[in-house]
Amino acid sequence: MYADTQNDITRQVVRVAQLLLAYGAESELVEEISQRLGQALGLASVEISISSNSLVLTSLVHGRCITTTRRIREHGINMSVVCELQRICLLTEKGIYGLNEVRKRVARIQPKSYPKRYLVPMIGLSCGSFCHLFGGDTMAVLITILAASAGMSVRLAIAKRHFNLLLNFAVTAFVTTLVAQLGYHLQVTDTPKLPMAASVLMLVPGFPMINAISDMVKGHLNVGISRWGHATLLTVSSVIGITIAMQIGGLFL
Amino acid sequence: MMDLFIQLLNDALFSAVPAVGFAMVFNVPRRFLPYCALGGALGHSLRTLLMHFGMPIEWGTFAAAALVGVLTIGFAKRHLAPPLMYAVAAIIPMIPGTYAYNTVIALVQLTALSEVNPDLTAEVVSNGLKTIFILGALSVGLAMPSLLYFRTRPVI
Repeated sequence: MYADTQNDITRQVVRVAQLLLAYGAESELVEEISQRLGQALGLASVEISISSNSLVLTSLVHGRCITTTRRIREHGINMSVVCELQRICLLTEKGIYGLNEVRKRVARIQPKSYPKRYLVPMIGLSCGSFCHLFGGDTMAVLITILAASAGMSVRLAIAKRHFNLLLNFAVTAFVTTLVAQLGYHLQVTDTPKLPMAASVLMLVPGFPMINAISDMVKGHLNVGISRWGHATLLTVSSVIGITIAMQIGGLFL
Repeated sequence: MMDLFIQLLNDALFSAVPAVGFAMVFNVPRRFLPYCALGGALGHSLRTLLMHFGMPIEWGTFAAAALVGVLTIGFAKRHLAPPLMYAVAAIIPMIPGTYAYNTVIALVQLTALSEVNPDLTAEVVSNGLKTIFILGALSVGLAMPSLLYFRTRPVI
């Protein structure tokens, strides 16, 4: 294998690992996919070291090493990208894709997301179902749907303008709680506390938390801890939003 | 008996909706959404069933998450997609959101009082511990198949 081929393969493998990390795959999956892809493309071994915002990858062929580092910037969670990359890895392993095919497929990946007109009502309905599961009455469910839909449209609008995620969560929690307080002020429901608890559930950072614990369980302790810290920060900033909204509404304190 | 059945059906229906909703936030491709709904419905109704027979919520969550883990590995093998894609959406209805919410609200109230109030402190400690243990049960349960069975080989 010539040096430039090894360079090419390593570039493709590290690109795949970078995309996987940026779109929210867990460390074990990143390591597994990049090792399998590298070996399928003809590298003798691939060693990878992941930290919270960068990755280092070394490929070895015929006693010759190439080490390369990439910076990771968070892009939000997109499972369709992760799914596509896993498929590329499997097809390469079966010998269907060669290096050129892999390069073409990886370059073609576009992070697609669902349009706003589906997301907002779906999240409203989801939080409404949470409220129903916790035992809220019909008016409480309606208030929850209203609050969660308002919050989700604010969240998408802020995300589109590329503000900081923490700021986004604080503002979204503020708006959501402000709307969910209606149950207290209008006195149309017997369970006014439930809409407030259920409608902010859309801000629970479920994916970072699950990723964090499964990273730590599988031995990637430092990545797990930093993801946990990120999830905690997100929670704290939504608490700030909730508290301000509650103080404006005069509910407690 | 009939009541239990209706309650389980209610649970399954109303936990399938959040599973799909949050799967859409995570941009799961459209053809996999029904499987997320199925996983969410089965997991949450299993937990309700176990809690009906007097199991504590932590153990119920653990068993339900283990079921979701096994189920999603089956899906993953069929579709050649990472199992975590289905699993995280499917366990969203079981995430201890209200416990976390109550913990944090009690903490804020405790700060605002600026003295140690035993009631609020008890609420912080018990809700906080429940949150942490349920989260741990969820993700360790989810990882159960790969910890026990797929130890040295990849899932797909």
